[in-house]
Amino acid sequence: MATAASRSLTLSAGQRRLGAKLVGAVLSLAFVLVFNFFLFRVLPGDPAKNLTRNRLVPAEQVQVLRESFGLGRPLPQQFVSYVGDTLTGDLGISYKFRRPVSEVIAERIWPTVLLLGLSTVLSTVIGLWIGIRGAWRRGSVFDRVSLGASLALYAMPEFWLGILLLILFGVGVGGFPGLFPTGGLSSPNTELASLAGIVDVARHLFLPCLTLTLAYIAEYALVMRSSLLDELGQDYLTTARAKGLRDALVLRRHAVPNALLPTTTLIFLNLGFVVSGAITIETVYSWPGLGLLSYEALRTPDYPLLQGVFLLFSAAVILANVVADLLYAYLDPRVRTG
Amino acid sequence: MTVVLAALLALTAAPGATAQEQQPAGKLTFTVGIVNDVDSLNPFIGILAETYEVWALMYDYLVGYSQKDFSPVPGLAESWEVSDDELTWTYKIRQGVKWSDGQPLTAKDAAYTFNRIMKGTFEQTNYGNYVSNIKTVQAPDDTTLVMTTKEPSPTMLRLAVPILPEHIWKDIDSKEVTTFDNEKDAVGSGPFVLAERSTGQFVRLVANKSYWGGAPKIDEVVYRVFNNADAQLQALKKGEIDFADGLDPAPFNSLKNTEGITAVAGDYSGFDELAFNTGAALDTGEPIGDGHPALKDKRVRQAIAHAVDKQALVDRVLGGYGTPATGIIPALYQNLTFQPADGEAFNFDLAEANRRLDEAGYKDTDGDKVREMPDGSRPLRFRLFARQESNTSQQSVQFIQGWLRDIGIATEVKVVEENRLTEIIGQGEFDMFEWGWVVEPDPDYQLSTFTCGARSYKQGGDVLANLSDSFYCNPEYDKLYEQQKVTIDPAKRAEIVKQMQKMLYDDAPYVVTFYYDELQAYRSDRFTGFQAQPDPGGVVLFGYGTYSYRNITTPQAAAASADDGGSGVPVVPIAIGVAVLGGAGVLLALRRRSTQDERE
Repeated sequence: MATAASRSLTLSAGQRRLGAKLVGAVLSLAFVLVFNFFLFRVLPGDPAKNLTRNRLVPAEQVQVLRESFGLGRPLPQQFVSYVGDTLTGDLGISYKFRRPVSEVIAERIWPTVLLLGLSTVLSTVIGLWIGIRGAWRRGSVFDRVSLGASLALYAMPEFWLGILLLILFGVGVGGFPGLFPTGGLSSPNTELASLAGIVDVARHLFLPCLTLTLAYIAEYALVMRSSLLDELGQDYLTTARAKGLRDALVLRRHAVPNALLPTTTLIFLNLGFVVSGAITIETVYSWPGLGLLSYEALRTPDYPLLQGVFLLFSAAVILANVVADLLYAYLDPRVRTG
Repeated sequence: MTVVLAALLALTAAPGATAQEQQPAGKLTFTVGIVNDVDSLNPFIGILAETYEVWALMYDYLVGYSQKDFSPVPGLAESWEVSDDELTWTYKIRQGVKWSDGQPLTAKDAAYTFNRIMKGTFEQTNYGNYVSNIKTVQAPDDTTLVMTTKEPSPTMLRLAVPILPEHIWKDIDSKEVTTFDNEKDAVGSGPFVLAERSTGQFVRLVANKSYWGGAPKIDEVVYRVFNNADAQLQALKKGEIDFADGLDPAPFNSLKNTEGITAVAGDYSGFDELAFNTGAALDTGEPIGDGHPALKDKRVRQAIAHAVDKQALVDRVLGGYGTPATGIIPALYQNLTFQPADGEAFNFDLAEANRRLDEAGYKDTDGDKVREMPDGSRPLRFRLFARQESNTSQQSVQFIQGWLRDIGIATEVKVVEENRLTEIIGQGEFDMFEWGWVVEPDPDYQLSTFTCGARSYKQGGDVLANLSDSFYCNPEYDKLYEQQKVTIDPAKRAEIVKQMQKMLYDDAPYVVTFYYDELQAYRSDRFTGFQAQPDPGGVVLFGYGTYSYRNITTPQAAAASADDGGSGVPVVPIAIGVAVLGGAGVLLALRRRSTQDERE
């Protein structure tokens, strides 16, 4: 009787926590929704004017355009219809591209997720491996070289590293041929859903992905290395060794799981930003992703498109945080009980 | 990890390693790099120069611009005549022209296009100006198009309206047209037909081999989007693209000595200016803004005109690729451009500038090296705006600031975004700024920017910017403007246009600083037969017409060694070279290993 009651109590505590997290997430999203609307309207520039600049467009026509954007109405009224439309899933029509915002975003989201997703995974795996190996054999040649190299790459401005790799491997230097395309996602005249299409995309993806992976490795390597070093001094490892466990097992079963916690936070923090793209690398390699789209939208300023992409960015970060919280509870029992 | 890398490297060894090799055999593709993506292929929506270039390939216009000097030449209309009262224009439409879907193109399509714009609202955004003077448009038969105008109008041979197929567009109503993307199976009549578009990446068009003006000699044109000019330049050097424009002087100079590439500094239709707030006011005459009172005095503006060394700006800001300017119609429009007579020009002469300011009573009374207003109320301290987006703009104002210091005028340079500057100008809250215009072959638009009616206007409680950015207002000028608008005889009209420019030169709402060249480069080892517009000396692409696209072909001796090495970066630090060799070794080793893996 008593055990059953206490179990149902713990269950509901878990549910309560989950519920609280979700409510928090929804509230954050609602705040973003409201904030975005006012944030972008503070930007300088009248979209209708900017879209007709330096062309022979009579003033009456600019006004027609402005009204077609719904900009003629008082701000509170615009706000109400914006919130209403967004809640019903209608993100509006982009001023600049004159197409539904959801369509414009959908076109750009997969290149971004492909590039950022792949490079995040690669840099995480490689970074963790370097961090673990470096910490375990602290001060070894491997540790010093990998630490130095990843720090150097981390310190390099991304666009500079990008241009360098583009010249080396995209254009070729001396007698060394340029192996990869200098930019873009695919070639004209290519059916994407075919083997040739996949090969073509892979060739385009190689350089931007390499650049981002190199640039991000250090972050993971360093965090992993230092948190593992923290663990290595702990008494329980001495105990484990005293029990007669082999080094590899001590590392894998005891040290690494505990040291992974800070890294998990970092990974999920970064995963949340996967959709927001990497604007510098998208610029260097002319990658048609969301980072660049948001920049283009800022220049008009294209309010519906800006609202759409920033809502998406915020939702991704919020979602990643919720997942990280839940995962954390699973990885670290202290969070569950505490 | 190694496996992934090896697999990717194996990709590079796969056939089709470069763009050219990827094309099906025998297909000749001309690839043009662009740094702005085409915004929309719907002719009622897009606004960018790149977009207009694509439409020029997809569609035809009634009347074209000659390659030699931009004079009207037959387009879809093979001839035209105007009635004696100069109010009725009759165009004879070419017979036997077909749309890309096989339907015949007739005068009815042309009539439909114009009527749609005239009756439309959204349709007016891009073309309203061309039809504002047109009363009726009719097609009495398939080869005759008759337009009547309210007033005689010389722009009837300058109607830059792409003629659209009625059988397609009649199904796109006034609401749908505002979001129609015109990307799938777009039907046109131009020398090329839209084949494929990938947003943010490229637009591909295939040749219309039955084009009435002659079949293009190439098979395809691809516009490839680059998000940064450096990558575009590298792609040209590598041979991934065949053409690049909008180059900066430094890379342009490096391309001049690159084998297989021809660099063209073409005369272009743009100018830059130093503009003054000549007394900001609304179109009603009601003053707005807070411009410095001294700049309302044309003697001050003239003195400043004497203090701007235009040749120095050309040499040091443009790297020599431009010419000092005089009027607001660039020199490449030879019939319309204006040259001041000897003795009437504001030549660079700081002593003369100082003398003029002294004479006008602007003296430095308190010894701080800055002149004051004649009544001593205010020093001549001006806000001078430059554009954040433009290095040319920022460098120009640096020089100008120095020269003005020498004539006792202090300036406070402010660099702001173009969007923001547009607002500041519209409100009249500036003294001077540096910006520029690109001028169409017809001068009407450019001239209109100085009329009283082009000043800012009020709507609701808001002051909104119009075309005028100097707030110049001169009834004499407006009278001439109305006069040139109804003068059909080109020579007579040119006289009026020059007279108007002289008025602007003397009153100096602008000091027009230079006409800049457009820096373009192309792979002359792959293509030859580019056509300059104007001829000689002009740009070869992004002009007014499709001459180059229709004429280019491969040089007979197609160089087999076109795109192998040697065209890399000219100055590479030795360190990079060493890194490359090391990297090459690693890559070769990896690749060898991957082939070994495959063998096993």
